[in-house]
Amino acid sequence: MSAAVSSLIWFDGRQLSRGAGSPGRRFRADPRCFAGTPVSGCFAHVCALAEGDPGLPYDDPLVQQARRDALAWWVSLLGPALVCLTTLALDPVRCGGAITVARDPFGFGSDPFARIFPGTIARTDLFCEVPSPVGPVIERYSGAAWPGGSFAPRDP
Amino acid sequence: MSTDALVPGQPFPDLELPDHNGRLRALSEVAGGDPLALFFSRGWWCPKEQRFMRGLVQLQDEFEVAYARIAVVSVDAPEVQAAFRGGLGARFLFLSDSERTWLDRLGLRETTDAVHHPYRPAAFTLFPDLRIHRAYNGYWFWGRPTMEELRQDMRAITREIRSDWELI
Repeated sequence: MSAAVSSLIWFDGRQLSRGAGSPGRRFRADPRCFAGTPVSGCFAHVCALAEGDPGLPYDDPLVQQARRDALAWWVSLLGPALVCLTTLALDPVRCGGAITVARDPFGFGSDPFARIFPGTIARTDLFCEVPSPVGPVIERYSGAAWPGGSFAPRDP
Repeated sequence: MSTDALVPGQPFPDLELPDHNGRLRALSEVAGGDPLALFFSRGWWCPKEQRFMRGLVQLQDEFEVAYARIAVVSVDAPEVQAAFRGGLGARFLFLSDSERTWLDRLGLRETTDAVHHPYRPAAFTLFPDLRIHRAYNGYWFWGRPTMEELRQDMRAITREIRSDWELI
């Protein structure tokens, strides 16, 4: 994956967009979500507020449990419809929500992150397919937005 | 390949198998730069496997914060693995070799079960590059690694791969 891939994404309460100057609140996502060929015609379940909410620490038990639930059953529930999943980092310690991208929105009503952050469904062509997290790790890798990151040696 | 090759210091084959959701996974991708505890399991029907998996489910609470991975290979179909995994409350990966692609190539066929043709229970603790740290023959239940042995193996691997392990 190129180091030049930006992990930034903006949400204005209705739509997702990328690129400096986009409307709405800026989040940092798992960069793998933008590192391949985007899948067109997807649905994004954006569990986040576009303004006002200071977010929660990633270490908050609510955010930890949502990640456990994502590994335990959320990914399996979506099955082959899943395109990618990322939490949304506000800064090195705070989580502002999560985005689940799928080809079909049928399972979005069960999104574990919607217990914490309000969910909005948006159509999107921004995300590429990313292998779902293998678990059981829920910790972040040096501040990367979960489930992204790795401690593997980087290519020179 | 036979089990003779599955010894400490040797590379474990980079298996490619569907996971419990049916998505193809390479073992190197599963490790993802972290130590990996890899288990070969008879299948959901075996009481010994059920007991051992319940132990792993308890241990996953440590793995989830310790940057280490767990994967279980069995001949169960992905949908059966998904149900078994859900019932256990596991948050780690199951890999399905229902077509028994690797069973004989790894030399891990359990020849005493002519009904299920499953894997002989075995466990391997692996470095992120899939080099074998330790191997365990779990045909007899007491041959399997204890949860404490798995902790010690993860400690030994992590000590070797993390340059900032030592205090000073």
